[in-house]
Amino acid sequence: MPQPSSDAELMALIDRVGRRDETALRLLYERTSPKLFGLAMRVVRQREWAEDVLQESFLTIWRAAADYRSTLSPPLAWMGLIVRSRSLDFLRRRTADRAQLTQEFDELMAETFESDAANPMDTADASEQAWALHQCLSRLEGRQREVLSLAYLRELSHGELAEQLKLPLGTVKTWIRRGLDKLRSCMQQFA
Amino acid sequence: MNLHAHPQLLELLAASHALGTLRGGARRRFEALAREQAPVRAAALVWQSRLASMAELQKPVVPDAAVWTRIRNLIAAEQEQEAIARQRTAPPPEAPARGGWLRSLALWRSAAAAGALATVVAAVIGLDLSDRLRNAPAVQYVAVLSDDQAAASMLVTFDPKKRQLVLQRVGSYREGEDKSLQLWALPPGGAPRSLGVLGRDPALKLTAQEADVRSVPALAISLEPRGGVPSERGPTGPVLFKGALIEKTL
Repeated sequence: MPQPSSDAELMALIDRVGRRDETALRLLYERTSPKLFGLAMRVVRQREWAEDVLQESFLTIWRAAADYRSTLSPPLAWMGLIVRSRSLDFLRRRTADRAQLTQEFDELMAETFESDAANPMDTADASEQAWALHQCLSRLEGRQREVLSLAYLRELSHGELAEQLKLPLGTVKTWIRRGLDKLRSCMQQFA
Repeated sequence: MNLHAHPQLLELLAASHALGTLRGGARRRFEALAREQAPVRAAALVWQSRLASMAELQKPVVPDAAVWTRIRNLIAAEQEQEAIARQRTAPPPEAPARGGWLRSLALWRSAAAAGALATVVAAVIGLDLSDRLRNAPAVQYVAVLSDDQAAASMLVTFDPKKRQLVLQRVGSYREGEDKSLQLWALPPGGAPRSLGVLGRDPALKLTAQEADVRSVPALAISLEPRGGVPSERGPTGPVLFKGALIEKTL
């Protein structure tokens, strides 16, 4: 089990990657790939697809590392954004039939609901911000948390969420608004 | 719009933007404001960063080792492409009146693997190939495949007339009895494609079309079980040698 890496260590590795250090990329991969692969799996659902996404993500990381510092993001958050973007690109490129997409969505929904509720987070291995987010998300009502997670992971609009969850548009908007509001006041305490 | 007077609204917009539910015209207007006003940009970045922490909340899943192999190959191909681009913009040397193929090796000195190429020039001359190379067919593509220590191990040329890849072992590496070396093309942004399995002779020929090598920035050789592996799976063994595939300019 690899040692948990501090933000400072990861940022130093990303800097080295920006200077074309391949060893640094391998070290970065070893320390972060399980979490990033887990994220890719959450969004695209199938292992082979998640592998493609992870490969494309690391190529993007290799290309963009030199500009990382200007993003002001914590390292895993930056890498997570890349993985999420590549995952969503992948899903958009696929010409899947609606039935399969709906089934994947249902599975994603079920997992979201259980995992965020009862996930004892490994606190030694998380950035402060992730810990804060985890705390604040767990204080939301299940439905609000579900809808926020789905909106983020799958980048769905209000209308798409309403359609997939079979809810009135107004209800979805209200849940998101209330959820974001609670999230905001909670996270401001941690700021 | 003066968002300074409406901090709650700014927070909600920034949060919705990061979440992805802010769409269309509203999204574009918000992004325009973020570009113009620092407090709006700050709120946008704070929320983007907060939500991006969701990446860390996912259950970790360890990917197969093959995934890293493929990433390494993608990076190698990327680097060779950059090296080729740098070489193409480098000033050309004075055109030699004679010497032909060997003299044009001087073009390669600006490439990233300068050390390896110098080794190869020495090795090639040392092996007394110079005579044979002066009478060589008009080759258009050349690659020098080196190992991790930048020591040249394989010289690859493509002969479009005979539609052949000609490989010459210049290092001392010999694969074991139960293993084979397999040559792969590394196209940019795509999976490695097998060009063939190498036999045990010092000089070998593989059938190939020009399409197989055109726009391929790099080649690699991996160590596989005897007989090689199917192309679709990609290399299963370690990549021993790799190098840029250079289109030789006459």
